Amino acid sequence: TKPFGVPGKPLFLCSPYVDQTLVKGSFKTIVVLPKYVDRDEWLAFNTFEFFNYITMFHGIISDYCTPHTCPVMSGGPGVEYAWIDANQKKTRYSAPHYFDTMATWIHGQLADESRFPTKSGLEFPKDFVYTVRTIFRHLIRVLIHIYHSHYDKILNLTAEAHFNALFAHFVCFGKEFELLEQRLRQEELDIQIAAQALEGLASA
Amino acid sequence: FHRPTPSDQEAWFPRSTEGLSQATIDRATAAKMKLEHYYKVALEQAIERNQRRTNLENTLMTSHSSDERKHRQLMSLGRKESQYLRLRRTRLGLEDFATVKVIGKGAFGEVRLVQKTDTGKIYAMKTLRKFDMFKKDQLAHVKAERDVLAESDSPWVVQLFYSFQDPQYLYLIMEFLPGGDLMTMLIKYDTFTEDVTRFYMAECVLAIEAIHKLGFIHRDIKPDNILLDATGHIKLSDFGLSTGFHKTHDSAYYQRLLEGVQNSAGTESINLTFSSKDRIATWKKNRRALAYSTVGTPDYIAPEIFMQQGYGQECDWWSLGAIMFECLVGYPPFCAENPHETYRKIMNWRDQLCFPEDVHLSREAEDLIRRLIASPEHRLGRNGGANEIKSHPFFHGVVWEDIRKIDAPYVPQLRSITDTSYFPTEDLEQVPQTPPPSYHHDMGVDNKDLAFVGYTYKRFDYLTRKNAF
Ligand SMILES: Nc1ncnc2c1ncn2[C@@H]1O[C@H](COP(=O)(O)OP(=O)(O)OP(=O)(O)O)[C@@H](O)[C@H]1O
Repeated sequence: TKPFGVPGKPLFLCSPYVDQTLVKGSFKTIVVLPKYVDRDEWLAFNTFEFFNYITMFHGIISDYCTPHTCPVMSGGPGVEYAWIDANQKKTRYSAPHYFDTMATWIHGQLADESRFPTKSGLEFPKDFVYTVRTIFRHLIRVLIHIYHSHYDKILNLTAEAHFNALFAHFVCFGKEFELLEQRLRQEELDIQIAAQALEGLASA
Repeated sequence: FHRPTPSDQEAWFPRSTEGLSQATIDRATAAKMKLEHYYKVALEQAIERNQRRTNLENTLMTSHSSDERKHRQLMSLGRKESQYLRLRRTRLGLEDFATVKVIGKGAFGEVRLVQKTDTGKIYAMKTLRKFDMFKKDQLAHVKAERDVLAESDSPWVVQLFYSFQDPQYLYLIMEFLPGGDLMTMLIKYDTFTEDVTRFYMAECVLAIEAIHKLGFIHRDIKPDNILLDATGHIKLSDFGLSTGFHKTHDSAYYQRLLEGVQNSAGTESINLTFSSKDRIATWKKNRRALAYSTVGTPDYIAPEIFMQQGYGQECDWWSLGAIMFECLVGYPPFCAENPHETYRKIMNWRDQLCFPEDVHLSREAEDLIRRLIASPEHRLGRNGGANEIKSHPFFHGVVWEDIRKIDAPYVPQLRSITDTSYFPTEDLEQVPQTPPPSYHHDMGVDNKDLAFVGYTYKRFDYLTRKNAF
């Protein structure tokens, strides 16, 4: 038996896979800012958790995401993400190289007391939300890349319900706090549709 | 946007893990489990957070304080919640704590009084040498200890706040109980009156009941593990051996004891002529050394545990009986020159249990001890649990519900939050202030590291309280 999809649709948008999710009920319960809680602290905590869980799921496919299989960091047909360094310089990296660079950078941000303070009494910097936005922009690329290029592994490992939930949760959080870009390319819209489908499912 | 209809829109993907490495499969399983746990906890915490908020809002609604004051209280809750979120993404390490003093020693490491450098809060830090633990197959041991400590909100159990590790050690950051332990108390006072004994035994009954309700058997209740808080009430620490199942190291250990017995067969100890006073003196001389040794003392362990044929929660009630004997008589009922001899006496408990003539015990006290130091099937607590013990005449008059609220017989007189006068710190002066690096740095240790992943636990209430106490 060979896999078959639906014409014009990537597998992750097809039933029954797109309907699988670990979490029932609305993500809003765990996404919206709890009353009286500091917004930056909430963003910091959730960013920290998303980074941990997304890198954990990336770890599942990392053995199969090589410079050979993924010479560019692609987010679907025709979409290529370049790494932009601190000096706004764009570099093309293979997907694994992009991921490593990104994970190292985010890890550095999270461990930097002047950006993500953990010590008692230290304040968040004024531009904190920009840092979070940059992190979210990178993290969604990792998710999109996995959906487009490594979804077969996710299915073989029966991890799509988990991965979908993590993705829908991430997008829900990103929207709630306007951390994701408004304008997305067509290919990326597929992903947004998947997220909507999952969200619709979750709150149904 | 509308959902596709299944009939013409269904895709088909034959799943197979063929060609995927075992490492990948393991990683996927772990990731899935962790994510499930994450959502479970996230939901629980959202609910708890909501509850805390609505509770406060409701209280404020009926209170007569000014709006400004109410607002301040709500803001203060928000700050606590925010502080808690911050703690949850804090990675702690040894460098975040400063040692004030070494206060205790156990088989696998020491206990130190420490201060968290940024908040100034005081904790007790237990250090466990990983290498020694692996050598002795103590992994399950530590896991069990952590689970019980972490899961319980019980006032009878020492609270665990953080834990972390480095290549050599595991660190448990617990609440500091400034009153010392019952072993130290017994060394100081020799014996207690029946009234004092009643208080400690009653609290122990409730503490053991609380652990049993959590689904655990302690198996190693002894005076060293009965700690006293700032008000002189007890809490149980050290769940070293508490686990629902047998572990291999146990059988090996008991086997060794058995061999020891065979070697020394026939060497009946000659202290039959000793008075209780002499026995107390001998016992006390060796007591602390025993507490510090890796083997530990078997003095309070029920015989059925040695027999490897299964046992139930009632084994903890035996230990209680042995401790009660010690409180009233001055030494435990089966104390001997060495663990082998103690072991032999416990196995022959029917002949070996005797009450010295020069110590007076009330009828109720002796009866309770005899009903606890009994065969499992006849032991008090076997059928009715803690309630059976609570209704024994010895406990007549105990107000069980409020016992933690009454004044304890000995209330520690503390001069500061770092007062360690209730600990035998002079015995521990050779112990270094900070754990020294260990020399065993082989691969075996690092490989086992994974078992400790997720070894972190942080508790809301205490951590966000203004002062430690
Ligand atoms: N939370 C605490 N607060 C104050 N003192 C403590 C605390 N925990 C332990 N101690 C002191 O340290 C001593 C040794 O601790 P503990 O019994 O937990 O370790 P242990 O003997 O190594 O246990 P085991 O060897 O059975 O694992 C105790 O008897 C007590 O005096």
